Amino acid sequence: MRFPLAWLALGFLACTGTAAQARFYVNDKRSPENLKDIEAIQSALQHALPAARAATVAVELKEGSGSGVIVSADGLILTAAHVSMGVGKKLKVVMEDGTRHEAVTLGLVADTDAAMMRITEEGTYPFVEVDRDNTTRLGDWVFSLGHSGGFDKDRGLVLRLGRLVRIANNTVQSDCMLIGGDSGGPLFDLDGKLIAIHSRVGTNLQVNNHVPMSEYVEHWDAMLAGEFTGEGPFAKKPEKGKGFLGVATEPRDGGGMRVTKLGKETAAAQAGLAVGDVIVSMNGEALDSKERLKELLKEMAPGDEVVLEIDRAGETQTLTFELGER
Amino acid sequence: MNAERIFPFILLAAVSPLAAQQSLEYTHRTTGPAVTAAFEKQRAVLQASSAVLYDDRREVNYGVVISPAGHILTKASEIEGIEKLSVTVDRTNYPEVTVLATDPAWDVALLKVAAEGLVPVEFAETSAVPHGTWVVANGVTSRLRRRALAGVISANSRAIPAEGGVALGVVIRLNDDALIVGEVAGGGAAEKAGIRKDDVILSIDGHAVKKIEDIAEILAERETGDLVEVLCRRGEEEMAFHVTLSAKNEMFAGSMSRNDMMSGDYSRRRSGFPRIIQHDILGSSRVTGGPLLDLQGRCIGMNIARANRAESFTIPVEELREIADRLMKQSSAEQK
Repeated sequence: MRFPLAWLALGFLACTGTAAQARFYVNDKRSPENLKDIEAIQSALQHALPAARAATVAVELKEGSGSGVIVSADGLILTAAHVSMGVGKKLKVVMEDGTRHEAVTLGLVADTDAAMMRITEEGTYPFVEVDRDNTTRLGDWVFSLGHSGGFDKDRGLVLRLGRLVRIANNTVQSDCMLIGGDSGGPLFDLDGKLIAIHSRVGTNLQVNNHVPMSEYVEHWDAMLAGEFTGEGPFAKKPEKGKGFLGVATEPRDGGGMRVTKLGKETAAAQAGLAVGDVIVSMNGEALDSKERLKELLKEMAPGDEVVLEIDRAGETQTLTFELGER
Repeated sequence: MNAERIFPFILLAAVSPLAAQQSLEYTHRTTGPAVTAAFEKQRAVLQASSAVLYDDRREVNYGVVISPAGHILTKASEIEGIEKLSVTVDRTNYPEVTVLATDPAWDVALLKVAAEGLVPVEFAETSAVPHGTWVVANGVTSRLRRRALAGVISANSRAIPAEGGVALGVVIRLNDDALIVGEVAGGGAAEKAGIRKDDVILSIDGHAVKKIEDIAEILAERETGDLVEVLCRRGEEEMAFHVTLSAKNEMFAGSMSRNDMMSGDYSRRRSGFPRIIQHDILGSSRVTGGPLLDLQGRCIGMNIARANRAESFTIPVEELREIADRLMKQSSAEQK
């Protein structure tokens, strides 16, 4: 019974944390009533904004871009599953000042759109506090940040102020207007605590949906461990054997497979592979027959990282790319 | 509120019965009447000093009252081609409206109605207010009563380059080294200047053009609203046209992005501005042209475009004053 006790202790700490901070008073009014209330909203927002901005990132994707938010000093990022798209994918995140960092996607929850990733460059990063105790209520004033329409250094992050207008299972709705590029970006309460991640909008302009922190807290350890949870629709589980290399080869005397044909649009070609190159090994496994190559590909899924060691006219090179899809 | 500060758990418990009702009533939403009621002081300024522009009975846009005698600034491209333009300020409708002058670079028109004793907006000293500062603008209104919508300054002030670069608004067909106009974009810059299909473009601002790249090279140096002289051959005749350049993507249909498609209604002219400030008021393309107010009710700019569902652009007050002065001088010079 050691585990439940530890859990209770953590729960207790969390509770005392909540007790220390009072709810923002305007949240307990049905609507702001006067200039003082309005100014209190502005003052809380402007107080919380600098730290919230510093921790919000743009996520560079192959096609388009999303947003994310850093939640630990060592660079753990929360984002949306339809932004991260998979587990173990390498990508880059961009701070508001344009600084770029290497990152890798961790686990995700495909049926609610929650996902995690991590900056892989060692460093100390600005981060925000997660509202683990789900303290927000319907009608609370909230603000959203995101790289709407993609990163734009001159414009910077786009701020929107609104209220929580609907609360349902695994989804909260606000009247902060979201648009493509905001996905994965943060929704904050006026204390600057992270309460949800932007997920999707409706054709009705009033509908802006976010994944609440409760969903992240529930799947925290699984995401941290790189698990792909759920069946979709926000991310598709990569299927083994569906990967596509797009390369025709023949064995070379003395080991390796010589490339005889190569699809122009394939990731391999884009990574620099050329006809005539000899693939000596793939992901560290030596290649000497078509069968061996097939075996290795059977165990891989689209999007998996491929590292080819090649011999080009006596010179050894390493090419890295993501496996395509058939 | 003190009890709640001391006993947050009691507060949470007290609030929890509300959890059953999980959707916020419209009136308490950010654009709802209960919230905007707190902005009555700013609404009163809109009532007195913003103008509603009508095409017959249809509300088309808003304006900023800048003189007691009835000078009003508005978004020029939204009133183009309107035959029955009338203006309402407060509760009075002015059926006679004169367009005194326009600034194509900023997309601003100066209007005049036969009024006296109007209350012009009070210009703020600066538009340089921090992100997250409350701002108030016109929402869709009734004949008698202006409605206020509130939002916040939401991004850095900056220039918005012309989408797709500036262009003449023609599709060129190259034939034996002749630049033939194959197509003229409807409502585009070239059409307004009088250029027609099958005209042959000979030169732009005195520079002979032989290739499409020649045109691109000349236009690369220009900005939205710049005037160029295009010399064309039509049949046996050579004719000069004065084309006011606009953004390429705004003249040719079919360039809607995915974000445009989810944006509902956005301004046709939404790029090519030398500088804007940005806010998050949930308007539509029909509620541009009016003033953007701060909490003191001062005008910090004029709403010039709803760019998409998340971003609205405003001409900063510094530039707006300069535009107003210039257009006023220009129109009085023309009257002399």
